Amino acid sequence: MAELFLFEKQTQQNLKKDRMAAKPATTSTTYSPIDPIHKTRPPIFSNSDVDWLRPDSRSFHQCRPAFFRTGAVNSAAGSAYAEFGNTKVIVSVFGPRESKKAMMYSDIGRLNCNVSYTTFATPVRGQGSDHKEFSSMLHKALEGAIILETFPKTTVDVFALVLESGGSDLPVVISCASVALADAGIMMYDLVASVSVSCLGKNLLIDPVSEEESSQDGSLMIACMPSRYEVTQLTVTGEWSTPNFNEAMQLCLDASAKLGKIMRSCLKEAASDVQE
Amino acid sequence: MVGLSEGEKEFIKGGISQDLRADGRKRYTYRPIYIETGVIPQANGSARVRLGSTDVIASVKAELGKPSPMQPDKGKVAIFVDCSPTAEPIFEGRGGEELSAELSGALQHCLLGAKSGSGPGIDLSSLVVVEGKICWDLYVDGLVISSDGNLLDALGAAIKAALSNTGIPRVHVAVNAADEQPEVDISDEEFLQFDTSGVPVIVTLTKVGKHYIVDATSEEESQMSSAVSISVNRRGHICGMIKRGGQGLDPSVILDMTSVANFVSRQLIEKLDSEIAAAEADEDES
Repeated sequence: MAELFLFEKQTQQNLKKDRMAAKPATTSTTYSPIDPIHKTRPPIFSNSDVDWLRPDSRSFHQCRPAFFRTGAVNSAAGSAYAEFGNTKVIVSVFGPRESKKAMMYSDIGRLNCNVSYTTFATPVRGQGSDHKEFSSMLHKALEGAIILETFPKTTVDVFALVLESGGSDLPVVISCASVALADAGIMMYDLVASVSVSCLGKNLLIDPVSEEESSQDGSLMIACMPSRYEVTQLTVTGEWSTPNFNEAMQLCLDASAKLGKIMRSCLKEAASDVQE
Repeated sequence: MVGLSEGEKEFIKGGISQDLRADGRKRYTYRPIYIETGVIPQANGSARVRLGSTDVIASVKAELGKPSPMQPDKGKVAIFVDCSPTAEPIFEGRGGEELSAELSGALQHCLLGAKSGSGPGIDLSSLVVVEGKICWDLYVDGLVISSDGNLLDALGAAIKAALSNTGIPRVHVAVNAADEQPEVDISDEEFLQFDTSGVPVIVTLTKVGKHYIVDATSEEESQMSSAVSISVNRRGHICGMIKRGGQGLDPSVILDMTSVANFVSRQLIEKLDSEIAAAEADEDES
């Protein structure tokens, strides 16, 4: 049985929840990188290291329920809405449209990304302005997946708006943006699924919420194309030893493979609705 | 932008696959590094790093400020990079903004560590004067004077050198009522030095074709498919990583890159240490 998920301090009720989530037959969309029933890898931390429960009573290696819906914005070529716990994001894709005259000729398409926060997204009222760092990270995460050769001389705009920030904002934005791009019919090699891991003390927490992010000692975020098994974006902060880093990376890759399936099923659902 | 003919492109790619690059280096060899410290008298610490024809300056200014309420026991460090139009005409006006933002972000990622403040780089708790009331704010500014590839590694090295050159004035705190803002007296003569042995170095591995190289020139960078910047400290731990450039990478390649970065960083740290020591000695003499 999976010791990894059976912490002494967890209540019986939580345990039941965890097992339910692990079974593919249940309707819950919660996903976990490791199947806790058929676990093969040894636990990275012994039970003695576990000294707290997560705010939303998840186990350390359990992601929040992921929800995707396409067609959130009518006027856009493609759009998607994603909700991971309290993190709520809306992404719309416009174009391809003709590149601005001032731009130099380019035989491949351009990608223009913008991430912004609403003023009410954070507990303290923010400025709601553009998030330049996230915009450039989103751009890098997506450009490796999009077949830019298919729309020369033109630009595709990707606008992401974080409606509510509940932690792991950037990974949610990236995943949601790739669903929106697929909805817009932009040619891609594969969907981009993104997951982050926080390191708190000795423990690795997948898909951290804001409270966990603010007290983390290190973080690792991966955006990858699950079917091609390629990493398009990777950021690491904090100090990591090599074995720890490998562990975290594998965890992220496994989780994004599962997230990729959820994204795919959302797109399939949308497509079958249209046919009916 | 670098204009290269088809022949030149092939020459660069072919050279890299045969482990002999256009300037005679091997894949994992850096260009000669020259470091000068104390180049800006107005700043608390400064350094100039030249890496081939890449030329950058980093300066550190310290100001007394108030710690954030979230972390009363920690000082603050901010890193900004400015790309001067003297380096490239396209940096003029708002042209350099994108690159500046990218470099600043990458340096913050690689040198400052995570939100909790613990982690690599600079020990933020050493910047506190009075807990919750007064701390030092360090403003680290990088300036790109001349750009010939591998700006991030050069800036990382310059910041490391500038920090080890930085002297923070000793502060005497007047004993005062507990809830008031304490009075401070900044000494002109006594300076405290930073312990910079923990500051990581940044190694950027640029992937060209099947192989990857360190310290790419701008010609080589124009041929890259992707690049990963990894910051590694003295203990061989990864302190930050950021991927730049478009195409995807296989996870096994990334793991391989981290071990290469680990190996290269050891030589680079040694080289920087001796250069910084030599520069400090030079400065003391003059």
